[in-house]
This record gives sequence, C-alpha cells and structure tokens, in this order.
Amino acid sequence: MAFNNAQASGSAPPPRYQAGIAGWIRENLFSSRFNGSLTVITAALLLLAAWFCLRWVLLTADWSVIATIGGGFFIGQYNTELACPGQNCFWRPQAGLLLVTLLLGMAWGVVGRVGMQVALAVGIVSAALAFLPYDMESMGPDVRILLIANLPVVFAGWALVRYTSLVTVQRLVIAGVIVFLLILVLLRGLPGVPGMQPVSVIHWGGLTLNLLLAVAGIVLSLPIGIALALGRRSNLPIVKLLCVVFIEIFRGVPLITLLFMSQVLVPLAFPEDFPQNSVFRAAVIITLFSSAYMAENIRGGLQALSRGQVEAARALGLAGWQTTLLIELPQAIRNVIPAIVGQFIALFKDTSLVYIIGMLDVVEIGRAFIQGNPEYLGNARELFIFLAIVFWIFTYSMSYVSGRIEEHMGVGRR
Amino acid sequence: MTTTLADNGSIGTAEDIIICRNVNKWFGSFQALKDVSTTVKRGEKIVIVGPSGSGKSTFIRTINRLEEHQSGDIIVDGIELTKDVRNIDAIRSEVGMVFQQFNLFPHLTVMDNITLAPMKVRHWSRGQAEGVGLELLTRVGIPEQADKYPNELSGGQQQRVAIARALAMQPKIMLFDEPTSALDPEMINEVLDAMRELAYSGMTMMIVTHEIGFAREVADRIIMMDEGRIVEENTANEFFDNPASERTKLFLSQIL
Repeated sequence: MAFNNAQASGSAPPPRYQAGIAGWIRENLFSSRFNGSLTVITAALLLLAAWFCLRWVLLTADWSVIATIGGGFFIGQYNTELACPGQNCFWRPQAGLLLVTLLLGMAWGVVGRVGMQVALAVGIVSAALAFLPYDMESMGPDVRILLIANLPVVFAGWALVRYTSLVTVQRLVIAGVIVFLLILVLLRGLPGVPGMQPVSVIHWGGLTLNLLLAVAGIVLSLPIGIALALGRRSNLPIVKLLCVVFIEIFRGVPLITLLFMSQVLVPLAFPEDFPQNSVFRAAVIITLFSSAYMAENIRGGLQALSRGQVEAARALGLAGWQTTLLIELPQAIRNVIPAIVGQFIALFKDTSLVYIIGMLDVVEIGRAFIQGNPEYLGNARELFIFLAIVFWIFTYSMSYVSGRIEEHMGVGRR
Repeated sequence: MTTTLADNGSIGTAEDIIICRNVNKWFGSFQALKDVSTTVKRGEKIVIVGPSGSGKSTFIRTINRLEEHQSGDIIVDGIELTKDVRNIDAIRSEVGMVFQQFNLFPHLTVMDNITLAPMKVRHWSRGQAEGVGLELLTRVGIPEQADKYPNELSGGQQQRVAIARALAMQPKIMLFDEPTSALDPEMINEVLDAMRELAYSGMTMMIVTHEIGFAREVADRIIMMDEGRIVEENTANEFFDNPASERTKLFLSQIL
C-alpha cells in the first residue's frame, strides 16, 4: 500500500475545494445561491462605475489645467518675475531635488529594498516630469536636463554606498540634516552671490513648501514628543505639570487657530533680533502641534509595557535613564509605529492649512490659479482630483514604508 | 554568633549576607509585611512558602528594593538599604532576580538580554560579555538559542535565559520569585535542574516556590509566611516531618 508524505507524517492533505483559484472563487464568491447572486450584482455595479470613471477620465475631462499650472505645483510663485526678477531661479529648487535624490540613492544602498523602491520611484517620476507636455521654455533649457539628471543621481548615491565605505548610517543621518539646511539656503539665496539672489519666503510655495514643513515637523516632533511623554510620566511635579499643560493646550486648540496666532505668539518666544519669517513660524506651530499628539502616542506605548520590564531592568542594576532608553522606549515606539505614522500622515496633510496665513501651498496654488483664470473655472474637478492623487501618493508611500519597517522590526515580537 | 551594629560601622558578621530586622511594609493601609526578621548566611538556600497573599513575594522583593519597606532594617552584604540611590544600585548589581513571568526583554536577542547589564553597568567589553553569556547559556543547557528572540523559545527555555541573564552580573545572591509557576508542567523540571545546579555551586539563594519536592531537596531552611508574618522557620526535614505550628500543619495538609 502506498502512502503519500502527508499521510505518512500523520496529517491529511487539505480538502480539494480549498485549493487553486477556482476553489477560492467557489468558496469565497459562490458558496451559496444568495452569495452567488450578490457577487454577480456587485460585479455588475463595479464594472458600471469603472466604465463611468474611465469615460470621464479619458474622454470628458480636460486635464490642460494641470499642464498649465505645471511647475507651479512644485514651487508656487518661486520663479515668477515678482520673486526672482531678471533671473531664472528655477534651478535652485531643482538642485534641492537633486540633493534629495542623491540622499535617497544612498539610503537605498544602506537600507536595501524599501530604500530602493522609494529612491527609484522618486528618481523615475522626477525624470519623467521632463517629458510632460507643459510649457517649460520660459524656465530655460537647463530645466529638463536637471530633471532627467535625478535618475543617474539616484544610482550615483547608491554606487557611493556600494563601492566606497564613505557612507555609514550615522553619516547618512548627518547628510540628511545638511541637505535640509542646504535646501533652505538654496531657496532663500545668498546676497551677493551670482545666481543666488535672495528670494523672500513669501514667494515660497507649492509642494516644496508642503514638504519642507512636513519634513521639519516630522523630524522634530518625534524627539519633542518623546521628551514630552517622558516628562508627563516624570516623578518631578513641576516637569510633569509643564508637560501636561503643554500637551493639553496644543491638543485642545485647532491647528488653524494656532496658525492664526503664530504670527502674534511665536515672535514672543524668540529674541527680537532672531531672524524669523512666516515659514519658520508655521513650521514651529506645526511641529509643536504634532509633538503634543506624538507625546500621547508614545505615552500610550509606554503605558502598554508590563511593569515587569522595568523591574527586570532595575533588578539587573540598570539606572533609571538606562531603563528608559534601552528597555522602555524601544519597545514603546515599536508598539505604536502605526499611530506615529498616522500622526506623520496627518501632519503632512495639515501642511495645506498654511493657506489661511497667506501661504501658497500646493492646494492653494491650484485654487488661486482657477480664481485668477476664470476660463478654467469648469476644470476645478480635474484640478482637485489631481491634487488628491498627489497627496495620496505621498501618504500611501509613508504608510507603505512604515509597513515594511514594522515587518522588519517585527522580528522577535511578543 | 551575634548580629550587632558595631561601633566602627560594620554590620553583622562576615557570614551573614542578608539581615532583616523588624521589616514592615504597607500598601496603602494594608500591611503586607509585619515585623519580618531573619538572617541568611553566605551560601545558604532559603525556601519561602505560604498561601497566596501571605507576603512571600513582597518580602523577597524588598531585598533588592523593588518594594520599599517603611520601617525596620535590611542589610545586604554589609550595605544598608536606605533611600540612598547609590546603595540601591550597588545592591541591585549584587543581587540577581528571577521572576515568575520571566520578564525577558522581547526586543533583544537572548544574547543581548544577557550581555546588556554587564556591558552597561559593569562596563565590560562586548567580547567579554558575550564570552560569559555563552558560558552561562551552556550552563543552563541552551547555547544554541543565543541568537533567537525570547518569543521564539519555550517557557522553560525563557526562564533558563532569565537565570543566565541574572547570573551574568555575577551576583552574590539570587532571588527567585515563583520561577516555575507560569510554566507548563513538562517544563518545570528543566528550570528546577538549572536551579539545583546553581544551588550545588554554592550560591546564596532565596526562593519563593510551591515545589515542595525541590524545597525539601535543596533548602537549608524553610520559612513559612502567613498574613505578612513569619510563622515558622526551620530546617527542611523538621519543617516537613515535624511542623511546629498549627498553621504550617494546615498549609502542608492542603498542598501535599
């Protein structure tokens, strides 16, 4: 008598109907007469909806508004005659983009697969922008070359890691900070340097502005949030009180209100001769607002740890700060990654709110354009669908990367 | 042998490693420990038994100050436990503890669990700490698990890692707080074997456990606690064969 392996080891093969695509369809979509008819009706409705959507996207919709705004989505009024008289300043944000893609290329070399996906996506999209049919002649011929250069620069960053030992994780982080500051200098300009004529921050705008505010907010709100969360759990009553008051105030007031107040309040917090401007003030407010939520996320992660973790660490002779840094925080942060990333995503979307203090973020660029060009009034739908897709691409990427990070850190999860 | 606070500040005799005098402890208005006094000599193995809520765990947790006592004296290896943080840290690095729930650090590998404290508190190099770590894992019988994470191990293996982790600090005293109570029955023996081996190596041990066979075999002395008091303290044979107090007789009749 012949036994197959499954029988020999004492376990039977799975029932046949569960196997294969046909099996899956039968089990999940047509398991009964009622489910089968539901499946047919739902499929018909979905097809109908898809047909209407496609017909609108391809035939009815007029996407020329997107091409007309073109580079404006990315930099707002930065390259207008008003902001940058007598010069072509478009190369400056583009040089910033090149620095970012170089950084992403290096991150690919250091991090591996997820880094590659992000770096290549940014590199390819940037290079592809050079071939879109919008009017770039006014921006100078070098614009397309700078855009296309993003793709080779990604590979250059990767090669730098792959073939030299110049890049380490620490250096990559430092490079990130330097790139951020360099981009600020590039955008702001340097008086007296040819080609770097200063551009006032009131002309900064577009996706560049959203991303600058988001990156500053994300990078700073995590450490501030951690500090606040620890402060709120502190045994020192004054520290605890200050942290509670800070968190409750910033969580209790709408961001829009805080942004309105920023023009009045933030100057009070810094010395009079401290160089500040509307972008700086908005960044401070967004960071602090996000920190308050971040603090509560982190605190949630800390609360969820069993008391035994701290006891075990203390019983081994670790000092209180060592226990916090080496035992509590790593576990707490890992446990609340979804909440942290959710906060990052919310922060990125909230950067759009700076329009209420007169800044031209990417959404406001589109809205203002339609307002100023009544012939495009009928194309608001196309415009906002495009903007929604742009935001979604960024937020989904964040969510995707966080998923991979969770998977990576999930090793050894309880 | 007398235990006195001498004029020159040295406390007890060289042989007495733990001295507790009239230790009292309250949780709010509930008194968990009532005038607990006992002395443990170097190398002695003490097993503490008693019904749940009798203060056994609270008592051994006062010895490395995971619980703070409110009155009385606790002197460990010549250092009195006071609010002085330096004293507490000094004692904690001399006293190892094994918990009922293992309390391994889930975000660190087995080896990192073991080497963390020696590297951060004793400032050993990684190489030295890992050498000792591997030695200890071999001693508790699981050297091949060094690179795994705690959740990949069985309960018995986790508790043996916890023992190795405590031993890595080279403590003079080991405290065990119901080390086998959270284990499946078939894993209890592997942990008891590791503890037995440790006992025969001469370690000073205080063990809260319900494993009476183990207590009988290993303990120099049994302490019976009830309602926060020590009701009986005796050699293992006397304690089980010839219990003095009625409370002990009742307790033994319930668990044997």
